[in-house]
Amino acid sequence: MSVLIDVQGLGKTFADTSIRFGPKPKPVRAVDNVSFQVLKGETLAVVGESGCGKSTLGRLLLRLIEPSEGQVRLDGTDLTCLSKPALRQMRARMQMVFQDPFGSLSPRRTVAQIITEPMESFGLVRGRSQRRERVAELLAQVGLPAAYMDRRPRQFSGGQRQRIGIARAISVDPAFIVADEPVSALDVSVQAQIINLLQDLQEQKNFSFLFIAHDLAVVRHIAHRVAVMYLGRIVELGPKEQIYSAPQHPYTEALLSAAPHPDPDRPHARIVLQGDVPSPSNVPSGCAFHGRCPIAQAICAVERPPLVEVAPGQSAACHFARPHPLTGVAA
Amino acid sequence: MSKPLLEIRNLAVEFGPLKRPLRVVHNVTLAVGVGESVGVVGESGSGKSITALSVLRLVPVPPARISGEIVFAGRDLLKLPLNQMPDIRGKEIGMIFQEPMSSLNPVMTIGDQIEEALLLHENWPATERRRRVIELLKLVGMPDPEGRLRAYPDQFSGGMRQRVVAAIAMACNPKLLIADEPTTALDVTIQAQVLELMLDIRRRFNSAILLISHDLGVVAEICERVVVMYAGHIMEDADTRSLFHNPRHPYTQGLLKSVPTLTETRHRLYQIQGTVPPPGTIRQGCPFRPRCPVAMDRCAVEMPPLLAHGPTHRAACWATAPEVGA
Repeated sequence: MSVLIDVQGLGKTFADTSIRFGPKPKPVRAVDNVSFQVLKGETLAVVGESGCGKSTLGRLLLRLIEPSEGQVRLDGTDLTCLSKPALRQMRARMQMVFQDPFGSLSPRRTVAQIITEPMESFGLVRGRSQRRERVAELLAQVGLPAAYMDRRPRQFSGGQRQRIGIARAISVDPAFIVADEPVSALDVSVQAQIINLLQDLQEQKNFSFLFIAHDLAVVRHIAHRVAVMYLGRIVELGPKEQIYSAPQHPYTEALLSAAPHPDPDRPHARIVLQGDVPSPSNVPSGCAFHGRCPIAQAICAVERPPLVEVAPGQSAACHFARPHPLTGVAA
Repeated sequence: MSKPLLEIRNLAVEFGPLKRPLRVVHNVTLAVGVGESVGVVGESGSGKSITALSVLRLVPVPPARISGEIVFAGRDLLKLPLNQMPDIRGKEIGMIFQEPMSSLNPVMTIGDQIEEALLLHENWPATERRRRVIELLKLVGMPDPEGRLRAYPDQFSGGMRQRVVAAIAMACNPKLLIADEPTTALDVTIQAQVLELMLDIRRRFNSAILLISHDLGVVAEICERVVVMYAGHIMEDADTRSLFHNPRHPYTQGLLKSVPTLTETRHRLYQIQGTVPPPGTIRQGCPFRPRCPVAMDRCAVEMPPLLAHGPTHRAACWATAPEVGA
């Protein structure tokens, strides 16, 4: 498979630009020197806890936020140095699905207006009849009846709204979709519907997917490869099977073992990390994880471990990376 | 089981006009034994939180209308004068809610907030109270408890705030701890810490726990018995092993099949069709019928009672009902 998205040394520092008295808060290093690739037709999942920079990363890829440094290439074109009009033309190739199905749809517009907006921006539809035909087709693809097109978002449940948001994203036939926690706001019985829908659509249309999530079980189901983030850095990256059966970074291991499991007979081998995630405005020296790491040594506080290949296709940023086969979590 | 600590019998909660009431909890009957941990799982609108709040009489009446019995340690809480409830809340029943920031007072130090519970319920001298506050903070795993007494809630992270809330809930050694989605707002690694804390509290003080959650995984880790609610009804009530290994209600079966897990690889997830009905839209028969794969004619007319599937397992379903006499 060929590379669709190529990210090199991407970083983002948010500085407080407000005008007020007193000392300014320290800048927040949200994403720190991140490099990876997304292949055509692939789903790369980004997992991590709140504040690890996964949402910022998603927005940086689409240049919804300006990066502080680094490059994002879509099919070889560097998005980070494109002019506004050129970037706008590229936007037809990349779309986003948001977390909150209530906040991401305008309450004043009808479903048809919401779904056609991206197509109209890029001049892809002309005339009322063509527009309505296309909306009906898109609604059918996301499993909603065409009769819904003249209703407004408030008449729909969370799952239905998320379907509308997905119809909007696929309307311009994008090559790349960023989905930021698309199922975490939904009821358990509705999550499976949306996950299946996203998988079916990807099979039909072969777009690439950056799937941002905190739920490891959902990620395991949907992703081809997984990137684990901690305090703005990718600490482990690799094929799903390897990450879930033999994680090499102690943070990945702890994350996997901490996830509650709907099976009361699973042997309890939970690693409970001490302390909280440090603030991204005050990232610890060396390896950012050393303060909470169960296997940290003196070197970890001093030297930042690079992300290096530890197994075919799998890389980890740890001085002491080795496979940690998990008890009770088999592949 | 010995005599239960908490027994909810035929609890019904409704809102809205008398002529066309909006019933959000229907005939809920459940019991929590001394030292037992019971989980109530359900999706949004299942009535799980209202059930928990009713136990504490925190559902305002009016507008709500509540009927049934809630017997706690021999007294029917629903018949108790409202001005006696503060003696029970926080003393005999501790509470942990979902969002720790909104259950703490932002302009009061955490030391004072924990002490407040003792001040209200125990007649202790100030030094004794202070000693207990520090002991509680140690119990919930707060680093440097003496130093953090004078800190305010905004100086803590979400997980630490939830520990403070747990310290308040445990201040008077309650017999029952009601936790409403205690880890939903927390990250996975912090959730693991809070769950570990709840298990530790249970082991040490033998408090009973009523855990409300939408997360089947959390319930499987903490509870001995699980009650599954849907649209205000109890659908299934079973010991945890039997519920997860041998669910008898099509809703529970669908729910368990539809959640992705860390261990199995399936190409497609099982999906329950449709969405959770808004409260009050299904007035007759089983509320799960429109989404149920095994629905029968009878389901449209009559809500099944909880039918026994063995000594510790009951499910409200006509289709999977055991043979008569079995």
